[in-house]
Amino acid sequence: MMQTMEILPGVTLRCYTDHRFKQGCLSFQLIRPMTREESALNALLPAVLLRGIRQYPDIRSITGRLDALYGASVGALVRRIGDYQTTGLHCGFMEDRFALAGDKIFAPMVDLLRQFLTEPILEKDGFCRDFVEGEKKNLISTIESELNDKRAYAAGKLLKNMCREDSFGLPRLGEAQDVAKITPAELYRHYQTILKTSPVELFYVGSADIQTVAELVTPLFDGMDREPSPLPAQTPFRDAGGSHDAEEMEISQAKLCMGFTTPITNQSKDFAAMQVCNTIFGGGMTSKLFMEVREKQSLCYSIGSGYYGSKGILTISAGIDTEKESHVRQEILTQLDACRRGNITQDELTAAKEALLSSLRGVTDSPGAIENFYGTAALSGMDMTIPEYMAAVTAVTTEQVARCAESIRSHSSFFLKGVTA
Amino acid sequence: MTKFDYPNLGETVFRRKLDCGLTVEVVKKPGFTRKLAYFVTDFGSIHTDFELEGTQYHVPAGVAHYLEHKLFELPGRDVSAEFAALGANVNAFTSYDMTAYYFSCTENFDESLALLLEFVSTPWFPEESVIREQGIIDQEIGMYLDTPESRVFDRLMEAMYRKHPIRVPILGTKDSIRKITPDILELCHRAFYSPGNMILCVVGDVDPDSVAATAEKILGTDPRPVGQKLRDWQEEMTCPEAFTQQQMEVAMPTFQLGFKCEPGGKGEDAIRREVVGDLAAEALFGESSALYLELYEQGLIDPSFGGGFETVDGCAMLTCGGDSDDPQAVADAMLEGVKRLLAEGISENEFVRMKRSALGRRIRDLDSFDSTCFRVCAYHFSDFDYFRFPAVYADVKAEEILEFLTQVVTPQRRALSVITPL
Repeated sequence: MMQTMEILPGVTLRCYTDHRFKQGCLSFQLIRPMTREESALNALLPAVLLRGIRQYPDIRSITGRLDALYGASVGALVRRIGDYQTTGLHCGFMEDRFALAGDKIFAPMVDLLRQFLTEPILEKDGFCRDFVEGEKKNLISTIESELNDKRAYAAGKLLKNMCREDSFGLPRLGEAQDVAKITPAELYRHYQTILKTSPVELFYVGSADIQTVAELVTPLFDGMDREPSPLPAQTPFRDAGGSHDAEEMEISQAKLCMGFTTPITNQSKDFAAMQVCNTIFGGGMTSKLFMEVREKQSLCYSIGSGYYGSKGILTISAGIDTEKESHVRQEILTQLDACRRGNITQDELTAAKEALLSSLRGVTDSPGAIENFYGTAALSGMDMTIPEYMAAVTAVTTEQVARCAESIRSHSSFFLKGVTA
Repeated sequence: MTKFDYPNLGETVFRRKLDCGLTVEVVKKPGFTRKLAYFVTDFGSIHTDFELEGTQYHVPAGVAHYLEHKLFELPGRDVSAEFAALGANVNAFTSYDMTAYYFSCTENFDESLALLLEFVSTPWFPEESVIREQGIIDQEIGMYLDTPESRVFDRLMEAMYRKHPIRVPILGTKDSIRKITPDILELCHRAFYSPGNMILCVVGDVDPDSVAATAEKILGTDPRPVGQKLRDWQEEMTCPEAFTQQQMEVAMPTFQLGFKCEPGGKGEDAIRREVVGDLAAEALFGESSALYLELYEQGLIDPSFGGGFETVDGCAMLTCGGDSDDPQAVADAMLEGVKRLLAEGISENEFVRMKRSALGRRIRDLDSFDSTCFRVCAYHFSDFDYFRFPAVYADVKAEEILEFLTQVVTPQRRALSVITPL
């Protein structure tokens, strides 16, 4: 059962009490507007916090403590939710009832989280320099490693070019050159500011009830000087015009990414229909793109579409042979046209709805999926519960899907072209 | 079905071996809506030599994976679309030593299960469709060739093994897959998709007897012959190449380091060895080790670093890898790390904590249907009941960990594979 409580001004606790799981999870997120100025700082912060605290001053002693808590885990949490970026920590831990008699895990875990948030190792004017420099290097390497996954690299390039004037074009973890400039003092000042002013979201999944969780987590804020200011509302896509780009690389499989826009967002009444439309068009193994372009015509190995409801952006990504580019582009548009004309079979409609319904039903079977769904839905402006969402999907008709497809406009593309050495 | 309770883990499992030879296991999960079914054969990419009904065969590399792709067709029917209409999500994967077909659903479980059993047990390989599949698998091979994580591991296997077929990628090569014909697919299906070589594992809130009844209805009650794998794989515990390197479009060097270990065999001893190997990896380079801290603080490894003990039919290895500016320095530090660990020993407190952590993580992992299903099947083919893992941990001693590391982490058994930027 999902319950929400404002435990302090600007601090929301969302609690999903469930006794079926062997593990619980607790996340702590500071909510920030997504901006170029602070995205790198927010991405770096949790990694630095995780390097050492007064009682456990290095990774080895921290892991020793987590080992003693039956292999509990704590990790960095940096999300993009529409125009917001969140920064914080995520804890996972075994439920107390599986521990040896008398051992407690959840309560000491919350206290460890408190130490991570409030007892970092400081040097004269900021965070420990070695920690900051080490984690800057790691973050830069993570950002640059996107190149290793050619599909993610091409999709990232498309969004960046497509959203030049929108926060959605900013990479989730910031830009490498911004990370490089961060100083320990600046990061610490930033932390103090966002700890004071940001709305906080705490999310718990596990067997404890909301009162127990509230009592345990309230001390996280003891002695904290809090003056939270409200967030600006999520905004629609700010369109700076399309862009069609290509890049060459020594790869054997080329990647074609195409970007589309629609006025339908997760706050529109047609949101569920748009989700069904996306699924019929390019989501999964029964979609038109998969069945026609991959299965019938063998034009690619992978193809799929994704719909970003917070902005009304739809992207297609395909792994293809370089020389088949124009053929695949044409074929993708042909399939979109089929959706626009309502050329959709009853089987396609049913399969798409069933796929969506099935994944929605399954959300409540995993602590991670529960946290991910409810922890991001409220912030993104999608205010439906799972049952409401399912009812909306069930009611979608072919005509609605066709109307959604008609609203889709071609916008941008990015082609990562293979060349031989 | 026979019921087995594991009160310490809060799990109940139902098991039966059917007359046709199929093992059925149901991990009951009351109150959950999702259901997951794995139908798995003890046949993977390395099983290219076998004997069936008195004749010996050698089949081209990549055949297990090719077969996995082609089984998704039934005469005049579209299997994926039928699953989709039932609201079930179907997929499959091929590993070195097994091939798994699975679906998950929240409704229409019985129909979906019948469809899974039907399509996997029905060989249907029209020539024209087998040829067309080459294009798709070519693309898949191309994608793997562009993926540094796959390349670095495939090259490590080539460096570590002389004979064992793990040295060939699971997908085979663009050349080897061109030798695959409908007859070869049919032969491999006959040899290894007999119920006696397979397991059906279901995790979810389902009726165990009805699972067994559905399997019996689709697969019948008669046992069929099973191919005998020919494993002429014995190798010396040294690596033919100590170092291998390739340039690719990557941002920074990435590496995999391997130490060759004696193959594990089957049953309780094999599992115990696996637990020892896992704990040894943890003690040597896990996040709570002195070595990890040292390498991390020197900037030689980053959060992408990880590793463990891996076993595949006929081989075993300790591996670790990730991004690093200086992979050779990490490889050398491993040898030093073992020396220091042996000199310092592992205290009783530390060892209890390590075991508690490993046990806690395995218990937490039981929340994942996919991981549970995978493990039940993999351990079944190793003749071990996965849910008995707590007892194995309880029994392992710190000395075994040190003995294992002394034996395995040596320059002769070591190979390093590196991918560097262009």
